Amino acid sequence: MEQQYETKYIFKYWSNIKNDVIDFIYVIISCTVLAIVVTIIGPIRSFLVNFVASQSFGITVTSIVFWSLMIIRPRTWELLLFIVVIDVCCAVLIGLQICIFILQYFFNIVPDLQANGLGLQLIIGGLLFSFFGVYFFLTKIRLKYRNEMIDKEKTRRTDMEKENLSASLKVLQAQIEPHFLFNTLSNILSLIDTKPDTGKSMLLDLTKYLRTSLSRTLPEKTTLFQEMSMIKAYLDIHKIRMDKRLNYKIDVPDNLWQHSFPPMLLQPLVENAIKHGLEPKVEGGEIVIRAIEENNLLKIEVADTGLGFSDLDKPGLGITNVRERLGLLFGEKGRLIIEENKPHGVRATIEVPVSEL
Amino acid sequence: MNYKAIIVDDEKELRTYLKKMLAETWPQLEICGEAANGKEALKMVDAFAPHIVFLDIKMPGLSGLDVAKNIAGICRIVFITAFDQYAVEAFEREAVDYLIKPVTKERLLQTISRLKKQLQSSPEPPTNIAKIITQVLANLQENTNAGYRYLQWIKTQHKESVRIIPVEEVDYFQAGDKYTLVKTAQGEELIKKSIKELSQELDPQKFWQIHRGTIVNVSRIENVGRSFTGRGILKLKNRSDDLTVSRQYLHLFKQM
Repeated sequence: MEQQYETKYIFKYWSNIKNDVIDFIYVIISCTVLAIVVTIIGPIRSFLVNFVASQSFGITVTSIVFWSLMIIRPRTWELLLFIVVIDVCCAVLIGLQICIFILQYFFNIVPDLQANGLGLQLIIGGLLFSFFGVYFFLTKIRLKYRNEMIDKEKTRRTDMEKENLSASLKVLQAQIEPHFLFNTLSNILSLIDTKPDTGKSMLLDLTKYLRTSLSRTLPEKTTLFQEMSMIKAYLDIHKIRMDKRLNYKIDVPDNLWQHSFPPMLLQPLVENAIKHGLEPKVEGGEIVIRAIEENNLLKIEVADTGLGFSDLDKPGLGITNVRERLGLLFGEKGRLIIEENKPHGVRATIEVPVSEL
Repeated sequence: MNYKAIIVDDEKELRTYLKKMLAETWPQLEICGEAANGKEALKMVDAFAPHIVFLDIKMPGLSGLDVAKNIAGICRIVFITAFDQYAVEAFEREAVDYLIKPVTKERLLQTISRLKKQLQSSPEPPTNIAKIITQVLANLQENTNAGYRYLQWIKTQHKESVRIIPVEEVDYFQAGDKYTLVKTAQGEELIKKSIKELSQELDPQKFWQIHRGTIVNVSRIENVGRSFTGRGILKLKNRSDDLTVSRQYLHLFKQM
């Protein structure tokens, strides 16, 4: 993936005429410098020959590499390198011909390529410096890409801090549904006379749920334990209402209980599972919540055996909210995957990088 | 004469509670059955021929309103609801009996006295209620489904499982050889639905076809430029790939 972005960036960079002109000036200047240096210390003592040779090599190599890459647009570094190698080899040979032609036509110099292995020297030198040059430009662009990515990451982080407040407010508004609240209250009222103990525990569950969901603006992180006990309270309330129609299981390995985790990411998924999955289903079903740590990712899955999605169901505010918050907190590394649960129902999985928790 | 009633509610505790309340406020009323969903309710109406049905609106399977449509004219109906604003307004207007959860004694007494009066004055239940309910149902459907007749989820095969992506998250759809590519910020997926089918099923307000093989999510468009050949070049937010707008669809981007 990363490779693809890097190579794509090269083409994007080169699509800009300004960058091309700057890079071209670089080529001319470095070829001139090279010609001077070779004249002073190299085997060929004529500046004119060195200058014409280095410029014709430089310009030919640059244009051939540039155009072939811009047309083919390879996605991987391997392919790109392969193309560059072929390009440079061809370009050096063509450059040599151009160089000889210019020297003969304009300056009446006929270089004897056989003497002292002059031809071989030009070819080897051309190849060497061409590869060096191409490497230099690609690295330059790559570094620029990296820097831009770092800048992007920085702005993402500041944006995140800014948006955090508004996001947490939005979550709060989405949470406490009047239907849920009234239903729970009527249930408690009904239970007070007939089963006071059940009524009491339902009231305690509601208190626990409200305390956590109402204090959302305060903590940035809670532990998985705290989050799950809130979910458990929420599920227990529904369990009393739906009786045998709702069963649930929470499966978290012992070493993960104290793991930190952003609050209120799971609740909307559980709410969806009940509201769209189990509540409208006559026979009811089961919700299984499972946490695992794998490849540096913490994955938490909420699976139900309910009705599942129909194509035309409007996605709840909850899902949009969760995705938005995952994006704010973890960028592309935080994901929400929604799948069909076999044989029926929905499985929603949150994936977050362990290192950023 | 002793009247018979059944209580229909998917929540057991609420049935028990209403039964207890009725026993206190109307001891002569015989509760001959309790149903936990619409189907059970219809069976019980058949079996016991009750005079009154206390009917919860929100239930799994057949809703209370669906049940009411079937039994209107057979028995008198008292709706029970927690928070269905639209329904309550309609009932208020049409003077259909309803109770709001949690049911209070005062409100229940009111309902009972009205029921008693009606039962004594005319033994046959009113039939016009069916019309009202059909209307309420239509209203409800309109309210919950308004604008959602379009495709909302894209289901894609992902290895062993079927992934479900909300359409809002799709950046654009692109026709491939056999399949259609679904491009999102997360990557790309394949679906079997063709661009042609998609263009008919997606909300045209939110998704525009810009090319024979491309449908784009309007909210993801960053800007539109022109190429040398007179086609449009579309840049998307947070994406490096550009899309081509063929001349046929360029009118979509004409300035207002």
